[in-house]
Amino acid sequence: MKELSLNILDVAENSVKAGASLTQILLTERGNVLVLEIVDDGCGMSEDVVRSVVDPFYTTRTTRKVGMGIPLLKLACEQTGGSLQISSVTQEADPVNHGTHVRATFYTDHIDFTPLGDVSSSVLTLIQGHPDTDFLFRHQKDGGVVELDTRELREVLEDVPLNSYDVMQWIGGNLQEQYEELS
Amino acid sequence: MLVKELLAHGFEALSLPDGEREIVGVYIGDLLSWVMGRAQMDNAWITIMTNVNTIAVASLADTSCVILAEGVEMEDDLVETARTKEVNILRSSLPIYETAVQLSKLLP
Repeated sequence: MKELSLNILDVAENSVKAGASLTQILLTERGNVLVLEIVDDGCGMSEDVVRSVVDPFYTTRTTRKVGMGIPLLKLACEQTGGSLQISSVTQEADPVNHGTHVRATFYTDHIDFTPLGDVSSSVLTLIQGHPDTDFLFRHQKDGGVVELDTRELREVLEDVPLNSYDVMQWIGGNLQEQYEELS
Repeated sequence: MLVKELLAHGFEALSLPDGEREIVGVYIGDLLSWVMGRAQMDNAWITIMTNVNTIAVASLADTSCVILAEGVEMEDDLVETARTKEVNILRSSLPIYETAVQLSKLLP
């Protein structure tokens, strides 16, 4: 994808589809290393399914369940010299602590590194599309951290839907302010 | 023009499960997600990307063939994947632009 933020959106959508009540999008930048993690508490995948989501043909046949998100994310990190790992625990295996953890490592100084792009927009799009599930977004940089937790917003807002216009505006502005404070 | 007819013009077949496919137009690109949304059915797609995702994108976009330019190598197991997924893969030793120019002369 042209920007990693689009890739993040695609993979996080898989978490929502897996019935996650909380999807965490964690970006950690240290020097020339960027680690992207998408962690959910959804229904999880068996080992066979984990293997198959990395295979683009799993999705291109009649059952297009997860899109090309994971194969393209794998390509994006590997072409910088990084790697992708997926671990998952199914609901059957552990009724309490189940879910999926996608972790992609990028070397940002590699010439083929895909720019991160507008991650705030991706987070906003996720909240707008899925106002009833929770998202934790945390972007750790060398200079500080940008963070948004919809569970905290929900506590303050009580019955106001997260995807109402004013709330979306506030979230967008808040993320922008946090990023400006960093730079 | 049929995909198999390119073989008479210096193109090498790596995987040719369906040489009878008609080529209608050409698309060029290496950013796979971009190509996925823009290449048209029956296009010949010129690229230098030799990833397993290249084969998947060709299959999704239903291009008539992938043309690997610059003589890039594709691993044997990927060529095998292309055959089983019925994706035509040709190769040209020419750079991308020259490959396109050659196709422009050959296609009606």
